Order: sequence, then structure tokens, then C-alpha cells
Amino acid sequence: MAVCKACNAELPKNAKLCPQCGTKVYQPPKNIRILAIVGAVIAIIGGLLPFIQNAEKVKDAYSYMSYLNNKGYEFAYHQILWYLFMAALVATCIIVVLKKEVFSIITTVIAGVIFALTMKDLSTFLSSPEYKIGCGTYVVIAGLIIAVAGCFIDILKYRKTIQYDTRYLTNNKSTWSRMVNHKWFYLMFLPVLVFILIFNYWPMLGIRYAFTDYTKLPVYVGIKHFAKMASKDTYFWMAFRNTLELSILKLILNTFMAVVISLLLHEITNIHFKKTVQTIIYLPHFMSWVVVASIFRMLLTTSESGLVNQVLVSLNIIEEPIFWLGTTETWRPVYYIVNVWKDTGWGTILFLATLSGISPELYEAAQIDGANRWNRMCYITLPALANTIITVFILNLAKVMNLFESVFVMMNDAVIEVSNVIQTYIYTQSFTGVPNYGYTTAVGLFKSLVSCILVLGCDYASKKVRGRGIV
Amino acid sequence: MSNTNKKKKKIKAFPIFNTILFIIIALIIMIPIWKVLVDSIDAASGYGMSLWPNQFTLGGYKLIITRDSLYRPFLISCVITVAGTFLGLLLSTLGAYVLIQWEMPGRSFFAYMLLFTMIFNGGMIPTYLVIRRLGMLNTLWAVILPLSINVYNLVLMRNFFEGIPSSLFEAAAIDGCSPMGTFFRIVLPLSKAALASIGLMFAVTFWNDYTNIKIYVTKNSLYNFQMKLRGLIVDNDLPTTNDKISDNTIKNAAIIVAIIPFMIIYPFCQDYFVQGVNVGAVKE
Repeated sequence: MAVCKACNAELPKNAKLCPQCGTKVYQPPKNIRILAIVGAVIAIIGGLLPFIQNAEKVKDAYSYMSYLNNKGYEFAYHQILWYLFMAALVATCIIVVLKKEVFSIITTVIAGVIFALTMKDLSTFLSSPEYKIGCGTYVVIAGLIIAVAGCFIDILKYRKTIQYDTRYLTNNKSTWSRMVNHKWFYLMFLPVLVFILIFNYWPMLGIRYAFTDYTKLPVYVGIKHFAKMASKDTYFWMAFRNTLELSILKLILNTFMAVVISLLLHEITNIHFKKTVQTIIYLPHFMSWVVVASIFRMLLTTSESGLVNQVLVSLNIIEEPIFWLGTTETWRPVYYIVNVWKDTGWGTILFLATLSGISPELYEAAQIDGANRWNRMCYITLPALANTIITVFILNLAKVMNLFESVFVMMNDAVIEVSNVIQTYIYTQSFTGVPNYGYTTAVGLFKSLVSCILVLGCDYASKKVRGRGIV
Repeated sequence: MSNTNKKKKKIKAFPIFNTILFIIIALIIMIPIWKVLVDSIDAASGYGMSLWPNQFTLGGYKLIITRDSLYRPFLISCVITVAGTFLGLLLSTLGAYVLIQWEMPGRSFFAYMLLFTMIFNGGMIPTYLVIRRLGMLNTLWAVILPLSINVYNLVLMRNFFEGIPSSLFEAAAIDGCSPMGTFFRIVLPLSKAALASIGLMFAVTFWNDYTNIKIYVTKNSLYNFQMKLRGLIVDNDLPTTNDKISDNTIKNAAIIVAIIPFMIIYPFCQDYFVQGVNVGAVKE
């Protein structure tokens, strides 16, 4: 027999409130409603596949496909249906999280009915290839079935197991009254929510264009773009390889240089000199990549105003001025050097903070024991720094796919094979000539997925190493 | 005896070597900047190895101040930076303040919603299509609005806010202070350092923005200074002038103008920048 923790009274079977003191003693079991949510999410993804693609580009559809003008109202009709379908699925997710599975079954079924309606209309009136339904249908149907099944399983569990959860005693108020208490906070969060939804979540809906040919209007083509990426597009693979090589080597170089510089800087005892050096080496971080690229472009130019070529020629190291940024052999070394020049100083901040946290007593004790400078560095400083080095490495490894601006401002057509990275590839493909947004979205989706895996992997590694994730 | 002598000698040699090394490093950082500065005030700049102006002139700067094709981008950069920093700080403080309300139902849902955007994003083209659909192409909103919601800075701000003792919030609530009142009278005054630190980060981002202008803005009259500078350097998009100053002088003067705002305020705010980096990586 269970006992109420607040007043020690015996509780009758299946009690939700303590009969004596009225404290809530029951909490619904915390089985995560994974199955139901997974089902709804699968259905949403299916819905994002472009089979109901006319949902968004209604206006374009009017102008571009004028021969369907007389059926124009059907597009609008589909748009509303599509949004209703998505809304019902999102509602399912929210209701499941709020532990009201019975209602979530209703919304899921509504979503299914809407979907059936849309599909019927689409297949009856619009047999043109623009509105082909594709594999999305099966995805949606599977998702809906999983969602309903998940809800049923949850309801069954909910009926069976009743637990006495003492954690509930500390928080007596109902969710609703807490929500009322926090009403102003919801209002304060509203602007952030609006911005996030518009600029971060709305673009995610656009991922469905990856399955379309999109020059003027999206036309469903299935996984054609991904097949092309995998088999034919050598430029894409070149860009992918370049991205990995450039950003990982850059990361290793920058971290290594930052560690070396902070170790040496830590040894400087004159506080004013140290401060001045810090101020100077942090300086390039505040310049934009455009400025940095401009400065180095002028320093490295082959004309007689280029400092580097002039010095090298007058020292007889080279005979002719070298076009550093326009030669495939020299572009990468220059790129790495510029990166080190710009960001190494800034990278030392974290290491210096860690170093200043090492107790000086450790060094004194080591000195008494006869450890020289080298020994002290190997046995005290480096172990203390190891954790920070790994942290910095992991934090930056998660960003390797985002390489864009630094390359974009330094590259040119002559060195495209060593400098083109995924993001610049997407940019040039999308904003020059007649772009196929569908293909570039597909490349972007690939990039997003790889970087998603990287972030999650780094997060996992970070939790292992320092007990705290990066996100 | 000889051992101690050796030790003493080593200890003396190393700091000297170290000091010289850092002087060299500082020179490596400074020489490119110095070279640009010298060339910007040298009317005949063109010879690479001169590290001192031969023919002193301020013509390059005068040209930037007087030509509207050059000072308009500068003003646009200023507008973007001021508006964006203000909006960015507003959104980050509001979001961070809500994220430390542990009792609020849905708090963790909001937190995960924000964090998910750090894991996955739609990518360049879907974002471009959204901006286009919102009718923001060729407006400055396309730069200001998307950049002002920065989840990383928001989480940073939350880390700062978590340092405020919760007894203060309780005391304020007992005294009848509304959530808004607590925000303006307790949270914001107590986090001036955080505001400075994150505000500076936003300001740097907005001032240095090139990518967003490049993607979303094609109208010449709306270019910011970075974009204009890129045009000057790469496309030789130079204004015609009667003064006897070389193209190089104008280019270098433009570079100096692009970096001067932060070069001036940075030495005074160095600690805030450093603090921001440290709080970002090391959660208290």
C-alpha cells in the first residue's frame, strides 16, 4: 500500500489525490510518446515532399500555368487543405506531448481525411506532371498509421500503470495555473518565436524543393537530383572534398598555433607587454573577410605595389613575381596563412583563460622538485590544457561544413578546383545563369545533413569528454 | 655548481627569446595593417616596399567623405549596425529571460525549439526563397531581420542571466514587481557587462556582413561598405577624380575606413569581447 508523502495517510488504490490532505500523488507515467510523435513527424515529412507543391506557389501557378486558370480556385482550395493537414499533424505532436492521446487520435484521423480529400482532388482534376504525387503518399500513409498506433499504445499503458510519484509533491499547481502565472512571459517570448519560425523553420519547409526541378515553378522529379549528385556531378564531389580538406586542415593549424602561442604568452611575466601583445594579436579578428582579403590581395599582387613579391624578388628568393592567389599550387598555403593571421590570436583567449586558472603553487612545487621549464610544461600545463584543446576542437569541428565567406572572398576562377567548397558551389550555381533552385536545394540539404551528423557527433563527444553538450 | 649556473643561464635566455618572438609576431600582425595605413595617406603609393608615406595626402579620405557613392555605403553600414544591434539585443534578452523561468510550462519545448535550429537548417536557397517571398529582396530588412535572431548569442545571454541570484527575483515578486518590471529594473541593470559584450558581438557581425548583402541585395544604392569595398578592390569600380592621387591610395583609404570604427572602440572594450568568448565556452 502506498503512503502519501505529505501526511503519511494510506492511499486507496488508484488514487490521484490524497483523500486527507488533497495533495496530488499521481503522475501519469513518463513513457515518452516516441511512437506517436515519430508517426506524426513521418507524415509531416511526407507532406513536405512536393506532391502538394502547389500549396505555396499559388501566385506563380496562376501566371505560369494560365491554361489552368479556369480551375484556379482549386489551387487555393488545395493550399488551405494542405495547411490544414500540416496543422493537424503539428497539433497531434503537441497534444501527445501534453499527454492527451485520445484527442491526438482525433487530430491524426482528421489529418488523414484531409489528406484523402486532397489526394482525390489532385488525382481527379490534375493529371499534369506538375502535381504528381510521388512516393510522398506512401510516406504519409505509413506515418499516419504509426501515429495512430502509437497513440493507442500510449492509451493502453496509461490505463494499466499507475505510479505514485513523489516528485509531484513539490509542484502542486496544475499546468494551467502555472501557465496563467507566466502569461506575461509567453507574451515576451512571442517576438523571438515569430523570428525563429520565419527565419529558421519556414526555410526548413523549403527542403521539399530538393525533390523538384525549380526554375520557375517546382516540378516534382523524385530523387533525380540526389542520383545526379551521387553519380555524375564531379564538381559537387570536388567541392565536398575541398570543404573537408580546407576546413579540417585550417582547424588543425589554427588550434595548434593558438596552443603554441598561448603557452609562450603565458610565460611572459611583464604584464604590460603581455597586454599589448594580446591587444595586437586579437586585432585581425574584428576585420571582415572582405577587408582581410582586400589587404592580402594588395600585399600579394604581382604589380610593383605588392610588398611580398617585391621583398622576395629583391632578396633573390624568387625571380619573377608570383601570382599567389591565382595559382593552384599556392592558393591553399596562402589561404591557411591568412586564416592563421586572422584567427589564431582570437583562438588563444580560451587557452589563456585556462592557463591563468592553473594554481601557481603547482609550478612552485614542481620547481622545488627540480623540474625544469620543459618538464613543467609537459607534466602540468599541457594536461591542464588538454580538456580545453579538445573542447575547442569539438566546437569548431561542428562547423566545418559552414565554410563560406573566407573562401568566397579569396577564390577566383583560376583556382576553382582547389578552392570551390559546397557553399560557394551552391552560391555560384544559384545566382549565375538560369538557376535550378531544386538542384541547389538538394546540395544544400546534403550539406545540412552532413553538418547535422557532425554536430550531433560532436555533441556526443563533448558530453563524453566534459560532461556537457555543445548545443 | 655548474648545474645551477646552467639553469640560471637558461632562465635568462628563454624570456629574451620569448620577448623577441612576440615582437616578431606583433610585427607580422601589424605590418599588413601599417602598410595599408601608409598607402592610404601616400598620394603616390604604388611601390611595395615603402613603409613610410612619400607624398603625404589625405585625398583618399577626402574623396570618401565627399563622394556620395562612397559615403552612402558607409552610412548604410551604420544604419544596419545600429538597428541590427538594437533588435538583436532586444530579442536575445527577451528570449534569455524567458528561458530562465524554470517553472514555466513549455520552457523546455521553447529551449529545444531554439537549439534545434543550431543542429539543422534549411540552407542557403530555401532561406533565399523565403526572403524573396516575404518581398524583402533589395531591402535592408533582408540583412537586419535574419541576422538579429542569433540563437548562439541568446544562449550566451541566458548563461549570463543564470548568474543572477534567484533570491532577487523572488524578492521582486514579493514586492509586487511584474515580470516586465523585473526585466527592466533588475535583470537589465544587473547585466550591463553582458549587454556590452553581446551587443559588441552583434555590432561586429552587422558591420562586417557581406554574405547577406551579396545574396539578397542587388541594388547599387543599397550596398553597405563591405560590398562597396569589394567592388573597389576586385572590379576596380573607382570613382573618377581630378586630384592627383593614385587608385591604390583610394583603395587603401577605403580599407582603413572599413576597419576604423572597431579599431577605435576595440581597445577600450577588449575585456567585454574576451568575457563573451569565455562565457560561451565555459558554463558556470
